[in-house]
Amino acid sequence: MDYLQAFAISASGMAVEKARVDLTAVNLANAQSTRSADGIGVRPLRLVSAARSGTDFPALLAGAAGASLQGAQIVSITTLATPPRLVFEPGHPDADENGFVAYPGINPVAEMINMLTAVRAYEADVAALNAAKAMALRTLQIGG
Amino acid sequence: MATEPVGFIPAQREISLDSAVPREQPGDFSAWLAGSLGRVNQDLVRADEGLQQLASGETQNLHQVMIALEEARIGVQLLVQVRNRLLDAYQDILRMQV
Repeated sequence: MDYLQAFAISASGMAVEKARVDLTAVNLANAQSTRSADGIGVRPLRLVSAARSGTDFPALLAGAAGASLQGAQIVSITTLATPPRLVFEPGHPDADENGFVAYPGINPVAEMINMLTAVRAYEADVAALNAAKAMALRTLQIGG
Repeated sequence: MATEPVGFIPAQREISLDSAVPREQPGDFSAWLAGSLGRVNQDLVRADEGLQQLASGETQNLHQVMIALEEARIGVQLLVQVRNRLLDAYQDILRMQV
């Protein structure tokens, strides 16, 4: 069942892109948040993904040439050290002594671009999966 | 000058059907078919469980459910194609002139 591996690879890419869209949603939802749990303010989150290593035991045991094709995985979620956006709002409960409120340095345009990129990558994963499925179904028509 | 007639060319070795082709056990194909049916059924059950979890809101990722559905569908289609080939062969034998 060779096409199942193509399905698994595409599924790993889909999971990564789904997590990226989730992070973008978190960033956009917190674009106007002035507090965070750790007290340093909200910072934009970024997802770091990497190629999944094919050196796990079943792949080594199989020893096949295609056994090391494993897809993508989420490595970590990091925060960008962008400076906060200071807005002069003296009556705000989170304003400092000069009357400035530190809004998070989240760029909505960059977030939208990240989201669009993730959506397009997800669509590409679906296209690859559909191609593998079409190949499998076409194989079933041999001789028929 | 007389030419020698072409003599009978002896075969180098006798082709033995018994030794050349390992004879399969009689129940091999039916066992294989039963195993494949079981696997396809497992795929279907897994896809059905995924659908139930999706309907009840327990599932985390949608694409795993869809991929399980597609795997089950491809398995069923493979089984249907095997069945078509078998029936074609059977009907070919039925149409054979005696």
